[in-house]
Amino acid sequence: MTTDDKMICPMCRVEMNHHSDKLVYTTDSQTVRMGETLGEYLEEFHTCPKCGGVASRHAA
Amino acid sequence: MDASRPLFIPVILGTARMGRMSLHAARLVTREVGKRAGVETELIDITQLPLPTEDAGEAIKDPGYSSKVERADALIIVAPEYNHGYSGLLKHVLDSCLKEYIHKAVGIVGVSAGPFGGARMIQNLLPVMRELGLVTIFWDVNFSSVQKVFDKDGKLLDEAFIGRMDKFLKELIWMAKTLRQGREQIPRG
Repeated sequence: MTTDDKMICPMCRVEMNHHSDKLVYTTDSQTVRMGETLGEYLEEFHTCPKCGGVASRHAA
Repeated sequence: MDASRPLFIPVILGTARMGRMSLHAARLVTREVGKRAGVETELIDITQLPLPTEDAGEAIKDPGYSSKVERADALIIVAPEYNHGYSGLLKHVLDSCLKEYIHKAVGIVGVSAGPFGGARMIQNLLPVMRELGLVTIFWDVNFSSVQKVFDKDGKLLDEAFIGRMDKFLKELIWMAKTLRQGREQIPRG
């Protein structure tokens, strides 16, 4: 499941477009959260329609 | 989408080998990209990136490389063939970012001293591009027998490459524009 809250571009203060999700595998114990037993998590990718800046976050 | 914002298409030179002829190819590609209206470019030489080797992946992200790739709408990778593959240093650099690549176009230019023009390197690099979220185009440029294509000072000896690059760049720029529209305006399904 991904997050419904829009990300806001830190530069332009406008809503970013959530255009992609990717399953990411990690061996980093700091990144893996409870319930992510195989070390995978879903990452969301967002782009600012004004400046083109990108951002990502773990899906909820 | 802000159509007045120029496309940014940097060229990544993916080899650290001494005496690399790929440098001539990368400079030529950079010049040709820079001639396109509404397109800005820059040559990124992977030997100049201060990436450590005691770790890997996004843990060693270089802010300079990251910001250039974030700004980019497409990438051009110019690389020679190392034992049918690409250089380990190129992979080390590519692996240092992820979000910066997603839904951006990439074109690959292969270089070789032999007859295949880096074709095997390109084939091996394609699955890496896919996993990084980059979108490959179906045109490549292949500099085979590169020692005959450029003189020792980097002067192009075979003008046919200008026409080949034109087709490659037209496709890449179309893909870059289309994907910018998608990244900025079209939500995932």
